[in-house]
Amino acid sequence: MSYLHIGKDFTPPDVHAKVTGKARYVEDFAVDGMVHARLYTSPMPHGRVTAIDASAALAMAGVVGILTADDLPPPEAPNATMLTNEPVYVGDPILAVAAVDEQTAEAALDRIRVTMEPLPFVVDPTDSLRPGGASARQEGNVYPRELKDLHWTRDDVERFLSGQEPTGAAPEEWRYGDLEAAFDDADLVLAESFVTAGYAHMSMEPRSVLSYWQNGKCYVYGSTQSQSFVMPGLARALGVEMKDVVLISEFCGGGFGSKIAAYPMLALPGHFAKKLGRPVMLRITREQEYYLGSARVGFQGWMRAGFKADGKVTAVDLYIVQDIGSQRTGGDASSAGGAVSILYQPDAMRLRSVPVFTNTTPRGAQRGPGQNQIAAVFEPLLDKAARQLGIDPVAIRVRNAPDSTGTVNAEQGPVTSAYLKEALQQGAALFDWEARRQHNGQRQGSKVRAVAVGQGYHSAGATGYDGLVRITPDGRVHLHVGVGNLGTYSYASTARAAAEVLQCRWESCEIHRGSTDAHLPWSSYQAGSNTSFTHQRANYVAAMDALAKIRAIAAATLGGAADDYEVADERVFRRGQPARSMSYAEVSARAIELGGSYSGAEAPDDIHEVTARAVQALAGTGLIGVAKDTMPVRGEPPGLAVAFIEVEVDTETGKVDIVDYLGVAECGTVVHPMGLHAQIRSGAVWGFGMAALERHVYDPQNGLPAHVGFYQTKPPTYLDVPVRMSATAVDLPDPDAPFGARGIGEPVMGCATAAWMCAVSEALGGHLFNRTPVTPDMIVNHLAGRAPSTPPLATNSY
Amino acid sequence: MPAHDVMPDLTLYQPATLDDAVALADRLGTDAWLVAGGQDTFGWLKDRAKRPKALIELTAIDALKGVREVDGEVEIGALTTLTALAAEPLVRERYPLLAQAASHVASPQIRNMGTLGGNLCQDTRCWYYRRGLNCYRAGGNICYADSPQGMNREHCIFGASRCVAVSPSDTAPALVALEARMVITGPGGVRVLPAEGFFLGPEIDIEHMTALRPGEVLSAVRLPAKWAGRPCYFEKVADRNVWDFALVSIAAVFDEQAGTIREARLVSGGVATTPKRLRDVENALRGRPRNAATGDTVAALANRGARTLNHNHFKLPLLENLVRRSLRA
Amino acid sequence: MDIIELRQDVWGREVVAGISWDLLWLVAAAALVAITSHLLVSAFLKKAVRPAPGGRRLTRHAPADRAFHWVMAASVFVLLITGVLPILGIRFAWLTIHWVAGIVLTLAVAFHMVRSLFWQDAKSIWVVPRDLGELRRHPPRAAKYTLAQKSMHLAMAVVVLVVIGTGILLMTVIDMPWWERSNWLDESTLGWMFVLHGASTLALVALIALHVYFALRPEKLFYTRSMIKGWISENEHRAHHDPARWLPDETA
Repeated sequence: MSYLHIGKDFTPPDVHAKVTGKARYVEDFAVDGMVHARLYTSPMPHGRVTAIDASAALAMAGVVGILTADDLPPPEAPNATMLTNEPVYVGDPILAVAAVDEQTAEAALDRIRVTMEPLPFVVDPTDSLRPGGASARQEGNVYPRELKDLHWTRDDVERFLSGQEPTGAAPEEWRYGDLEAAFDDADLVLAESFVTAGYAHMSMEPRSVLSYWQNGKCYVYGSTQSQSFVMPGLARALGVEMKDVVLISEFCGGGFGSKIAAYPMLALPGHFAKKLGRPVMLRITREQEYYLGSARVGFQGWMRAGFKADGKVTAVDLYIVQDIGSQRTGGDASSAGGAVSILYQPDAMRLRSVPVFTNTTPRGAQRGPGQNQIAAVFEPLLDKAARQLGIDPVAIRVRNAPDSTGTVNAEQGPVTSAYLKEALQQGAALFDWEARRQHNGQRQGSKVRAVAVGQGYHSAGATGYDGLVRITPDGRVHLHVGVGNLGTYSYASTARAAAEVLQCRWESCEIHRGSTDAHLPWSSYQAGSNTSFTHQRANYVAAMDALAKIRAIAAATLGGAADDYEVADERVFRRGQPARSMSYAEVSARAIELGGSYSGAEAPDDIHEVTARAVQALAGTGLIGVAKDTMPVRGEPPGLAVAFIEVEVDTETGKVDIVDYLGVAECGTVVHPMGLHAQIRSGAVWGFGMAALERHVYDPQNGLPAHVGFYQTKPPTYLDVPVRMSATAVDLPDPDAPFGARGIGEPVMGCATAAWMCAVSEALGGHLFNRTPVTPDMIVNHLAGRAPSTPPLATNSY
Repeated sequence: MPAHDVMPDLTLYQPATLDDAVALADRLGTDAWLVAGGQDTFGWLKDRAKRPKALIELTAIDALKGVREVDGEVEIGALTTLTALAAEPLVRERYPLLAQAASHVASPQIRNMGTLGGNLCQDTRCWYYRRGLNCYRAGGNICYADSPQGMNREHCIFGASRCVAVSPSDTAPALVALEARMVITGPGGVRVLPAEGFFLGPEIDIEHMTALRPGEVLSAVRLPAKWAGRPCYFEKVADRNVWDFALVSIAAVFDEQAGTIREARLVSGGVATTPKRLRDVENALRGRPRNAATGDTVAALANRGARTLNHNHFKLPLLENLVRRSLRA
Repeated sequence: MDIIELRQDVWGREVVAGISWDLLWLVAAAALVAITSHLLVSAFLKKAVRPAPGGRRLTRHAPADRAFHWVMAASVFVLLITGVLPILGIRFAWLTIHWVAGIVLTLAVAFHMVRSLFWQDAKSIWVVPRDLGELRRHPPRAAKYTLAQKSMHLAMAVVVLVVIGTGILLMTVIDMPWWERSNWLDESTLGWMFVLHGASTLALVALIALHVYFALRPEKLFYTRSMIKGWISENEHRAHHDPARWLPDETA
């Protein structure tokens, strides 16, 4: 099918500003009377503030005030706090101080005396689960959706750490099918324990925020992944109604899951500004971003899988202890189970999990939260089975891959469509898999080469959000986008669905976004790989609403029925009679005259209050197309990805060179090829970071983190990734998206991590590290026949 | 815990001559901090982990820049940037070991700013110390890294004396291997130290990594003709290929005659607080051919006297392997 | 000038870290002032009694005790050199020498304590009320040890025991051939150990200065000789000691 916009490259409107440096990020803004705030954070991993003496700081010239937890609404455990008197990790904010300039604010910090009483702390989940183990929070040490205390017996802990089937209580569990029967049915059963380290989101732009109050409204300049979706939480955190909040977030210098919704710091300057009566700029330092900026949930786990002789996965049993850091989170384990359920379609499955608090940085969703951790350890297990059963790694994946009849999650619900087999086969052909695989294990000097394949999954779409388009009397099409600018250009690529429906030139379109004042509709979170699917739909329904109004106006003006009218070249004309037409400009002017729903004076009842307010503000300025996406959906829209990789492992230095990489996306129709390819390649870079580099480590003796700078956390650099990285897509349309697109952001990372793990294992003759990351020291130790330097399943190991 | 990231208030001096710089450094003593490219300095200052009162910026002293030939030796001004050093034909031709080492430092941007002098004088990267903790090296009474559960993967396997930090410099092992001499200008004039004596271990001075005293400036490095054009080998193993410090590195030069090694100098970075000369290996190499079999024979000698910490025993096989590679190349 | 040096612990709390080494100069100056004053006072006021070393030679120190004294002196000297010179900015590998000397000192002191307590008249070095009479008489008519000697010994004993005790604790936080270091002492306790170790070092500096000064005074040189050769002369005994309280044997 040939489209005007869908599947075509375009230049997203914010690109020029980004590459020329004209884009304004939060710290680039300044307003009259603005003061600069700085945070004083906890020096200890868990403690109680007993006294704060800020008198010396407040006496300094230029210091305008401090804000403490006592100035803020009381927190609800285990939510992340803006400021706290009972910090739960090193770096937890205790107070903020504001001064007329940054130097003074920093000097003031040095003069504040905070007296604290230390409390027991823990940085490794299993240490908390031991009998008498410390609780990271006084309210409880585990969080299975409620605060609880849970301790295992000594025997449970030892069994778990020694890799045996876990016996400790797991407060979360789901299952489907007859697990025992499915294992009995297997010809081969494999079990392994594993550990995946959490690591920082590492947003390049720290979560700095500028806030001020004007005429009862709080203006917040923040760095967020989403736009409209942030509003309810932000209003709640500020203690005001949503109508009284203006969020300006035009550019986001990276969020990676840590800036999906209203994070605590987003509201802090608003409170401070209210107290001081002055605009407050809170700049977050790089070090503080490592404290506040969230990290991936770490897994310590055990997995068992049953296989038929032909490679079919019969049963999977997963047991995961989650390191959920110090605050509310914990969905990663269940998501990991969901990924396994769809990628391998086991007949029966069980997931047990223990979400445990640690006195470490708050955790949250990070690209493929759960799915990517499990991909990193389960895919090598699949390869081990393939090796033992004498099956090719691609073949065993094809054998288990879901098609459109596949099922997913505990509920074993349907998917909208799935073409994973096609992705595997297309990738294998493009990568020349068969031929290259023959060379696996060949040595050249100290180096061993290997190719491998990896897979990734994430659900990739939601429904029920709103779209809003507007045609003004100058003939321009205004695409009001509540989608945030998280860096994938999905705000623009999904808006093109409306341009496609309205058959207008891209040059005639104008995207409105980035500020509540731009009158934006209610939108989904820019996370969970969902935007492409979700907002193609939302923009589609809004544009269809506009189209219906265009036709109705044309019929009313030019005669005939609305159905007789078509659109092209930004005109509406009677089918077969191109001369009987109106321009969009004329239609818009007529819509304003007509009023009612045409001009937005009336709006549908089912739209969100955010959308309703936007429509109200825009009413009378043109023809308004607005609708909530109520189109049916047959199941979970899956985002699926496959990676092919070739690595060279140096057996003397433990260094792994990635020689070649191919990423294959199965995300329905390709909407924006350049954007997709960038996603596939950059997702892979991140995946390599998770597999091999990114560091997140605490000293268990004092709870201090060793990773508070880029050079310490070691994200991949240009020379750590291959020169050549290829990308392609299956490009078969999903039936439940108007133009066939599903999301893909997260799986394209997980498949890369999985492929890297599998390739290193293959190069080392099938040795499984069962962990992320795998670093040169571990490879060197393994090859030298030395024991690893860390105890089994220890999270703080690199 | 205050977190800082803006430059502190301090007095900035920008002397245009070495004499002025030395006079300033002498007058200000421990209150002053010498800065060249600033790639180590600014982190310390912005974090407030070090709080000098004055900064003496040396970059205006043109006499300390560039490479020249003096009496058959090659003299490299301490302010020569690492990028310039790695590209300098005289160095590439006669001392490729140093050119290679310089080109492996950090990242291109850092090499553009960073100088040879700065790379040699930079402080250790022990993360505890860099956090500004009051450890031995910071004048305190304790080492946090060498503790029963300390996170010390990057720390030393040789020469620990309370402090277990390692020398982070990539060029230092090359200079020790090449028997470079360090030209130090101080208020009393110029003194010249062998590179090996320039770097101090914690047993001698736990708070400083070099023999520089307050008031002294490392002004140049001289490379003797002895090792010019000799076969050499440099390798740095780090987690990342850019902007990372060596887990273990090796710099080796060989004087071969009639197929056997007459003299060899092998120096390892990342394993001790100073560049670590592998003397046992050097001694064993005398009279042997430079080949893989010799490597296998002598590699284990590299670890004589090593003492590992909780997380760094991988450095033993890694160092052995690098010795092998230097002999095989 | 600070007396005690404060630092922040791993969690930023202020803890004692050690003695301020500025005090070293103060102690040195005080010792110098005391010695100078004594020099002046004795030059102008007192007439030093210098008995001739004639007559029979009476045993004052057995060879074992002299050996102990000089081993102790040597080890303390080494300990002070290795402990103080680095503080003064002189760089050398001091730590191993320091702890080796510390062990020598510890063994020597242990030997001395056992020997003096079980095989010797330990009371002879203990200050008793009767010694105070010596203050009124010049030269004193002392038992085996004069009040000044007993006081010096007492002070030395206390200081050396403190320096040894804290030194042994501090050895547990450095790597030794017999164990690997650990941070088992919390930072505040560790700081107080350094304070005591440093304070006793300062006291040692002062005491040794006085001790050496008096050992070199002309009227006391015979005691120094006795610590080298073991004997004092009958004349010296008669002039300074009360035979009723101490009557040594003739030397061999």
